[in-house]
Amino acid sequence: MPQREHLLKVGVSGVRGVVGEFLTPGLACAFGQAFGTYVGAGRVAVGRDTRASGPMLQHAVTCGLLASGCEVVDVGVLPTPTIQIYVASTHARGGLAITASHNPSEYNALKLFNTEGLFFNSYERGELLDLYHQSDFRRATNAEIRSVHCDYTSAPQMHLERVFQHVDRERIRRRRFRVALDAVNGAGSIMTVDFLREKLGCELHAIAVDPAQPFPREPEPKAESLGELSELVRRESCEIGFAQDPDGDRLAVLDETGRVLDNDDVLALAVDAALARAPGDVVVNLTTSNVIADVAAKRGRKIHRTPVGEANVVETMCAVGAAIGGEGSNGGIIFPAVHLCRDSYTGMAFLLDLMADTGEPISTVAARLPRYFRRLGKAPYEHGRLGPLMQDLESRFPGAELDRTDGLKVITPEGWIHVRASNTEPLLRVAAEAVTEDAVERIYAEVMGMAGGG
Amino acid sequence: MVRDPSKTLRISHVGLRGVVGTGLTATHALDFASAFATFLEPGKGVVIGRDPRASGVMMREAVIAGLLACGKNVIDLGIAPTPVIQHTIRRLDATGGVSIGASHNAAEWNALKFFGRQAIYLSTAEASELLDIYHLRNFAFAGWDRLGKLRLESGAIDLYLDELAAVYDFESLRGFRVVVDCCNGTSSLILRRMNERFGFQFILINAQIEGVSFAHEPSTTRATVALQLAPLMKPLGADAGFLFDADSDRVGIAAEDGAPISEEMVLPVLADYLLPRAPGKLVITNLSTTALLEDVARRHGGEVVRVPVGRQAAIDALSSYRPEQIALAGEGTGAVMMPQFRFIYDGIASMLALLSMMRERGQKLTEIMGGYPRHEILKGQVPLVTQRIPALLMELRARYSDGRVNVLDGLRVDWPDRWFHVRVSQTEPIVRIICERRGDAPRELFDALLEQIRSFA
Repeated sequence: MPQREHLLKVGVSGVRGVVGEFLTPGLACAFGQAFGTYVGAGRVAVGRDTRASGPMLQHAVTCGLLASGCEVVDVGVLPTPTIQIYVASTHARGGLAITASHNPSEYNALKLFNTEGLFFNSYERGELLDLYHQSDFRRATNAEIRSVHCDYTSAPQMHLERVFQHVDRERIRRRRFRVALDAVNGAGSIMTVDFLREKLGCELHAIAVDPAQPFPREPEPKAESLGELSELVRRESCEIGFAQDPDGDRLAVLDETGRVLDNDDVLALAVDAALARAPGDVVVNLTTSNVIADVAAKRGRKIHRTPVGEANVVETMCAVGAAIGGEGSNGGIIFPAVHLCRDSYTGMAFLLDLMADTGEPISTVAARLPRYFRRLGKAPYEHGRLGPLMQDLESRFPGAELDRTDGLKVITPEGWIHVRASNTEPLLRVAAEAVTEDAVERIYAEVMGMAGGG
Repeated sequence: MVRDPSKTLRISHVGLRGVVGTGLTATHALDFASAFATFLEPGKGVVIGRDPRASGVMMREAVIAGLLACGKNVIDLGIAPTPVIQHTIRRLDATGGVSIGASHNAAEWNALKFFGRQAIYLSTAEASELLDIYHLRNFAFAGWDRLGKLRLESGAIDLYLDELAAVYDFESLRGFRVVVDCCNGTSSLILRRMNERFGFQFILINAQIEGVSFAHEPSTTRATVALQLAPLMKPLGADAGFLFDADSDRVGIAAEDGAPISEEMVLPVLADYLLPRAPGKLVITNLSTTALLEDVARRHGGEVVRVPVGRQAAIDALSSYRPEQIALAGEGTGAVMMPQFRFIYDGIASMLALLSMMRERGQKLTEIMGGYPRHEILKGQVPLVTQRIPALLMELRARYSDGRVNVLDGLRVDWPDRWFHVRVSQTEPIVRIICERRGDAPRELFDALLEQIRSFA
């Protein structure tokens, strides 16, 4: 079988790859120039997470932007949502975040934002990609070339001010919560410490908050890699623990026992908090738990489902004017009243505010959510496998409700199964959910057997 | 084929150069920097700097990205004169350097110049290897955990001045009243510091660092010196006037009476100053430079070595002699290298040498200039179809067979009192004609050559 691991991927989501032989400065420069050409000569903000390859790629991207006639604002090391909010607040033409988000250290990528600090919609992404492939760039002359400015200080303030408009900051401060944090030495390291300790008055116990150090754990914040944080929560008797990914958009939450809460449950709590504050529907991806649908239904709101991917969720949220959205399994909370982006800071603020409001431990609050049982898994991908698997699934569940917007989701009275191809890796992703543990184990085992996964 | 003058990009042994946007692009700069980093031996980093052109900001990002990506540490001097960049390479024992700037060209141009470990321009063999790497685009990118780091460095100018102060007697020179046209380039950074630190009395014009609108083209020709600098000499009661190109490696001169001096005079005058201390040594120059050099060399028992026009031929010639054989090297543009500075084109050092000469001889500039036999030079150019050039040169050679013929670079023919040089420009689609005679201008010969080249069909 040929190598199907994508060491470089140039696609509608931008450029992502292993730095060195694959993601080269030339590619980053050309993409910067295509981006600058697309958004037009004006101010563009560029920031990055703490990866070792960030500075090199930032110089390459900045070069391309300058060559297209853009003025570049270097915002330094910042979480992705903070960069997005900076773009929106300063009315820049667009922005770029140099981050491979939750991917391992050797990867890096470019995330591209429009003048509102949002991901481009799918049509715009296609246009930009065509422009890149055609090398149809604007080439500024000496008289048209602008300069680079640095603004390392104003973005965190802009971001946190927006967040604090939606929670009762005083009631959180009064509680002096004991909070544990693992920022994976990522872009949030400094800002999150300031946010929790100074701004929200927490008694903070933090690990991995040195942006000069490498990632000490797997960058994706999930139960298997958060052992140290869990230990910290128990040792310091913290009331809650937070773990971020390297670019501060994803959030994992640990309860006071050191147990990592299910991401769908965290999203459900955030959705409930958001619906209490803002009008509008709820948008989640197809793989997100029904617990969110239940929470929405209880407040009489409609739920929309999209293909997996933040850009897809945001595009639909925009179209329907949603109150909140997110991707359960990915640990992403998108609250448009702050900004239409995945934002761990809004998530942290909502949960602390909820704890301050109820006065209950976070485990107790979470335990009140409707109970579902979920399994997530993956199977090796081969071209030509997904179609027959979808056909098999359809015939295995006659009469079930089917959703074909992203792979196949089969919805039965006792739960659902979702099978799709990963956007970033040569994998089939399988998700199953049911109201009982037995049911989910049964259908999950059956589908994994059909998919050849383990 | 006739080259389109708007197609300005030129990638050659001397690096790359072009009008930014229409010719020279970000990709060219980035790929060339990546090729250079691939070419360099492992070492203590690469020193970079730029002249004030607005496009230098973009070019800088490209150069840094390419070097970091190939695992090279970068020491950035910011806006810095080329001689200072070269001095810093040696001082830090860096593995090489890049000067970003188009020197004497108009503001819309930019270029990259590359230096090896000794801070000297790459030899033709080294430059050929660099070009091969560039064309193959097989760059030695480092893994994500072995990328280079960027460091900004200030204070390089002071350390450079320490070296100049060790060679020239600043104490005896600072009394001169000197007017300088900085052409909005980097020389003001050095000269202001000399005023502050050593009490020099440089009066600077066009001293504002400017990226887009230069007061005038930063070329060191007599015509440019005549624009703003020369008319100020008498009103300001100056002893001497100097003009530097954007990156300060060339110098032009105005005399105290307000006369703009020909750029051809810089090298012969400095040869006259340095040869007495280096009897019998060589002056390396190109075939288009004034024959006054031979007169001066004869006076001091020196010898002139003439090589093809262009920096590359001079660099290769320099490396083919032992340093102690050479008195100085340069060209008729105001670019001169002296052994005290390990053969780096340095306009500031050239100025200090000239001031030292005035001090030591107790002579004014007009007196020094008046001490040489008069040579009049005429320069012209004709656009030409490249394909026909060899035939043209053959025909001229046959027509002027009574003179001494040199075909190292186009055609040069010498007679006892006059000479001409017909050559193809390396930068523009033209044939250049240079014609000189001791005494009056060789108008007849020049007109005849122009006519013969124009009518060549």
